[in-house]
Amino acid sequence: MLVIALCKGRFLEPSLDLLMQAGIRFPEDLASSRKLIFNSDDQRFRAVLVKPADVPTYVEYGAADAGIAGRDVVLESGADVLQPLDLKFGYCKIAVAGINGQAEEKPRVSEVEQNCDPHPARLQMTRPLPEGERDSKPTIRVATKYPHITMDYYNARGIPVEIIPLSGSIELAPLIGLADRIVDLVETGRTLKDNGLEIVEVITDSSARLLINRAGYQTKREEVLRLIQALEKVIR
Amino acid sequence: MSAASYAQIPPGTQIVIGRAARRRRVLERTICSVFEGWSYEEIIPPIFDYYDVFVKGMGTGPEEQIYRFIDREGNILALRPEFTSLVAKTVATRLASSPKPIRLYYSGEVLRFEKPKGGRQREFAQIGIEHYGASGKTADVEILLIAVETFQRLGIQAFQINLGSVDFFGGIVDRMELPADRIAELKDVLNVKDRSGLEALLERLPLGDRRKKILRAVPHLTGGKAVIAEARELVRNPRSVEALDHLEEIYSIFQRLDLAQHLTIDLGEIRGFDYYSGILFRAYVRDLGFEVASGGRYDGLSGAFGEDLPAVGFSFSVDRLEQIVTPEIAEVEAASIDVDDGFDKALQLRRSGKAVRLCL
Repeated sequence: MLVIALCKGRFLEPSLDLLMQAGIRFPEDLASSRKLIFNSDDQRFRAVLVKPADVPTYVEYGAADAGIAGRDVVLESGADVLQPLDLKFGYCKIAVAGINGQAEEKPRVSEVEQNCDPHPARLQMTRPLPEGERDSKPTIRVATKYPHITMDYYNARGIPVEIIPLSGSIELAPLIGLADRIVDLVETGRTLKDNGLEIVEVITDSSARLLINRAGYQTKREEVLRLIQALEKVIR
Repeated sequence: MSAASYAQIPPGTQIVIGRAARRRRVLERTICSVFEGWSYEEIIPPIFDYYDVFVKGMGTGPEEQIYRFIDREGNILALRPEFTSLVAKTVATRLASSPKPIRLYYSGEVLRFEKPKGGRQREFAQIGIEHYGASGKTADVEILLIAVETFQRLGIQAFQINLGSVDFFGGIVDRMELPADRIAELKDVLNVKDRSGLEALLERLPLGDRRKKILRAVPHLTGGKAVIAEARELVRNPRSVEALDHLEEIYSIFQRLDLAQHLTIDLGEIRGFDYYSGILFRAYVRDLGFEVASGGRYDGLSGAFGEDLPAVGFSFSVDRLEQIVTPEIAEVEAASIDVDDGFDKALQLRRSGKAVRLCL
């Protein structure tokens, strides 16, 4: 039996849909029940429901053989797991944002997107800092749910940064003077816009990924490969 | 530090007491007896050495995991983060004129500043072997067989050894003439078998279709002998082809010995310290999320210390093995001795080899 860690929250429905299309059915009440462990109808899989940020941890330790989580969460966790498939849902960007017009020269988003590699394999970003970030304060205060990604991003540019870890409503931070910038997920950009914020630079793209434990990939290869192939067929 | 906080231990250290300590010693003893059975001799290297020794061995990247300190003369020293560099240095210097091959084993603690993970703390126990002075398949097979016997002697049946070669991938990228940071990116996506990441990267690399096809195949080249045949269809460069010949020979020997069920060819496995130069392997046990052993060939390593010798070896993580095996420990019956009678009785029993426990 393979154990699959699934995120509670917005990823749950699409994850279950995808699994169902791949022939892996879990009980109907999975999303509404308070239980955390469910067996698939054919008893070949077991789903465990965990917080999104914990999925990579469950998979890295082998407590789950596989998992579904956003690339943002995997990058932030630094977990050493295999990521064989982009599951093509949950698209968003991880971006640096600030108050409209506060960057001395407004970043031209189209140009930023052109210049920036939409999918860097590693976050060793040595691209120059966007115009306007250059002469800002000696230390930039950045509010984020992604302290590791943020630290890597600013470290690679040699910018001193004070990270202010928050767990929600990140957009609020620059508006009331808690931070100069935020690093956050951007889906449509609507929330940013409504709060008078704009993207300064896109750090990387994110979408849902299938995660596989390294040891399980070797010791349970047939089962794991069957799962990967079944999901791959669906997303194609 | 106040008296109350002495109960705290620094993160990443551990204390092993009583039965747990006896179990660990039995485990270590069992493994060492396998090594001794293959004519390996113990080496007890120092717990610290010059920092440079380890940087030479581990290469760039892991060096930030090394605990460093400065001695009174201003030398930069380091607590050993692994044994292989220390053994290489010793073989290249003290043992340079010894007859070859040199077979050594070690057992002890190493220290790395990393996140405690999978039962491995910052200070953790490693036990392994080093085989110096022989290149070619015989030495490679020897150490693989020793790894197999170690698992068997520990009573572990469901283990898998994943065997790859740095030369297979090396031969492929040699021809591509990519800058080092591009190769690093390529390795990053291949390491996690990230297909979409690979596609995005391939779009930006100036490579022909045939080369892209090879790179797309690399993460999936895992399995039995068929994988070698599949890989032969893809590559023509001599370095990769030689690596495949070599892996095939090893696999055939394992088939003949009826051990092939424990061996998986994995050409997509390209992780490891910079010092690896030929075969590379990691061993996994079913239901343990982390590898329990790893090793490979590192022919250039002793050369960095002044004596170029081919070398191959591996190490087991004792802490991880402890999560899957619980060795039997013998209970020793101790006679309770009343000290009021004087110590004569106790001494007498001790002289005849009996265990005693003094009553106070």
